[in-house]
Amino acid sequence: MKEFELEPGEHIVKQVRKHWFLFLSGLLPYAILAIIPFALPKFLVFAPPLAHYATFFEYQTPLMRAAFGVWLLIIWTGAWGAFTRYFLNVWVLTNKRITTIKQRRFFYREVASLLLPRIQDVTTDVAGILPSLLGIGDIKVQSAGADVQFTMRGIPRPEQMRDLILKYVSTKPQTTNI
Amino acid sequence: MVDQPLQPFAPPFALFAQLHVPDTLSAGAAVTWALYIVSAFWALYTLVAIYHWLKYSHASWVAFPAIALHLFISFALMAYTLSGNAFSLTPYLP
Repeated sequence: MKEFELEPGEHIVKQVRKHWFLFLSGLLPYAILAIIPFALPKFLVFAPPLAHYATFFEYQTPLMRAAFGVWLLIIWTGAWGAFTRYFLNVWVLTNKRITTIKQRRFFYREVASLLLPRIQDVTTDVAGILPSLLGIGDIKVQSAGADVQFTMRGIPRPEQMRDLILKYVSTKPQTTNI
Repeated sequence: MVDQPLQPFAPPFALFAQLHVPDTLSAGAAVTWALYIVSAFWALYTLVAIYHWLKYSHASWVAFPAIALHLFISFALMAYTLSGNAFSLTPYLP
């Protein structure tokens, strides 16, 4: 881990990212944009006043092929960037603390840690039919004292994560050399 | 200036002359410049993303396959744009 150094005796228990379904949902706009050049000529045929524009989408000509290739390159790069942001957003649970790493966009990164002994309340929230079926939910961790609240939205199986956090919260903390 | 009539738009020929840009830009040159600009943006974006992968992916094994996949598909699409041949992706493209 580059953002934080593990203390002696500390180990990573679990890393959690957003549910894959939410990631794929985020890719849907890119998929629709990628399909448009294939689908549009076929739909134009069904609209007689616009049917003659279907011949515009002849990708055998160098100019249209170049435009099509550039279109796909831009969409692919955007989708890959979305995957990059998805992968770099992560919650890390160790046996001593929770660390949340938020990569909102490139060069915009938030890293925060909460020591397990300071945790007072852990709440899970699964709302809706699809989240219930797929096991997608939010988890909120409230600390004692100051109004510090960690929230991770759209994680898989939040109940298991809550139980895991509470398991390590309830274990006797080991002494550190801090 | 508000009481003067609007002037029709004219390209900045004086600036073009200083930059050695011809007054009339051919379609081929416009396409070439458009491809240069897209390539420059792609390269910059890819470099920034790779920097984030290598710096922040916590030495994950996913980083290098993800970068390699991106480069492969991007170069295939660039080759398709220029020549119509996209390596192993050619059967899936028109």
